[in-house]
Amino acid sequence: MARPRELRRRIKSVESTRKITKTMEMVATSKLKRAQDRVVAARPYAQALANVIADLYTPELAERFPLLRQPKGVPKKAAVLFITSNRGLCGAFNSNLIKEARRTTADLEARGCQVDLHGIGRKGIGFFRYTKRALAVARQDVGDRPSQKHAEELVEPLMRQFETGLLDAVFVVFAKFNSPVSTPPTTLQILPVVPPSAGKAGGKSSNYILSPSADEIVGAILPLYVRNAMYRALVETAAGEQGARRTAMKNATDSASDMIDSLRQTYNRVRQAQITQEIAEIVGGSEALKG
Amino acid sequence: MRVTVISPDRSVFEGEAQAVVAPAFDGQVGILPRHAPFMTLLGRGELRIKQDGAAHRFTVDGGFLQVVGDAVRVVAEHAKEA
Repeated sequence: MARPRELRRRIKSVESTRKITKTMEMVATSKLKRAQDRVVAARPYAQALANVIADLYTPELAERFPLLRQPKGVPKKAAVLFITSNRGLCGAFNSNLIKEARRTTADLEARGCQVDLHGIGRKGIGFFRYTKRALAVARQDVGDRPSQKHAEELVEPLMRQFETGLLDAVFVVFAKFNSPVSTPPTTLQILPVVPPSAGKAGGKSSNYILSPSADEIVGAILPLYVRNAMYRALVETAAGEQGARRTAMKNATDSASDMIDSLRQTYNRVRQAQITQEIAEIVGGSEALKG
Repeated sequence: MRVTVISPDRSVFEGEAQAVVAPAFDGQVGILPRHAPFMTLLGRGELRIKQDGAAHRFTVDGGFLQVVGDAVRVVAEHAKEA
């Protein structure tokens, strides 16, 4: 049986680990709150853009806009942007994202498509460095608070390459933020733009007074739509990371508590056994002296 | 009429208003209640919303403005309260 001093040391060590995980849990909770607010706040804009494109979209327009050009057959050259977090200790969050990125890439390559990988976030970049796969872009500076500017910088060169025909498709692998505990890794095609299906507002376009023409409006709004899709992917992943970290740290804290309980029980048992034994020895000793 | 001003990262303004003057791509447009359905692109400039005698001012750049029914929706790429 373990010695009491060793048990005491282990209890202390697990307690200090629990203190750390508990703190990280609380930090993640407060960051999650803010990140979640940003996800929610970004929704009306995305919705408004999607509605307008759905309203104005006609198949004839698709012919005239490079961003809507649907490639015939299999894309020959595609870009996959994968977003991961810069920090770890968030459970399987990053490994799930990496898995999804690899699956998407493998799918495309199996169909004979050449894939450029664009990495955002330290964890994913680290993984692909390890597998010795070259990345077209590797950025670690996006962090907890992605901005419009980040999205623009990432997506602008891709849009240009797409328009000139250097790329046939662009995908984003990110964590969709359904709720803090549900952040499934998701692959989204951002180019060519998949026209959002017309919702309840569909078919109204003929009644609008349009100034300038529908063509010009769609031409101006499409890039915004693409940029916004990227922005949302960044924001949702940032929120998902905090959600995943909170869950992971909560589990760690709970496990630490369980461990402390069982260690303390063992410790008390050992301590009592020792006392009992000491008493027995003293009694035995005095009996022997009497005899 | 109901006016909403939305920027990519949040809703900037939401409320009942009596008039909107917006910087369209080719000059100012004024929207009063009961305007016909309308859609235009925005340029850079000042957006003014008249609400019960008070005026709210925003600096906007890019995006579009949409009038549907009795609602005016300003969806701006950049929008900041001035």
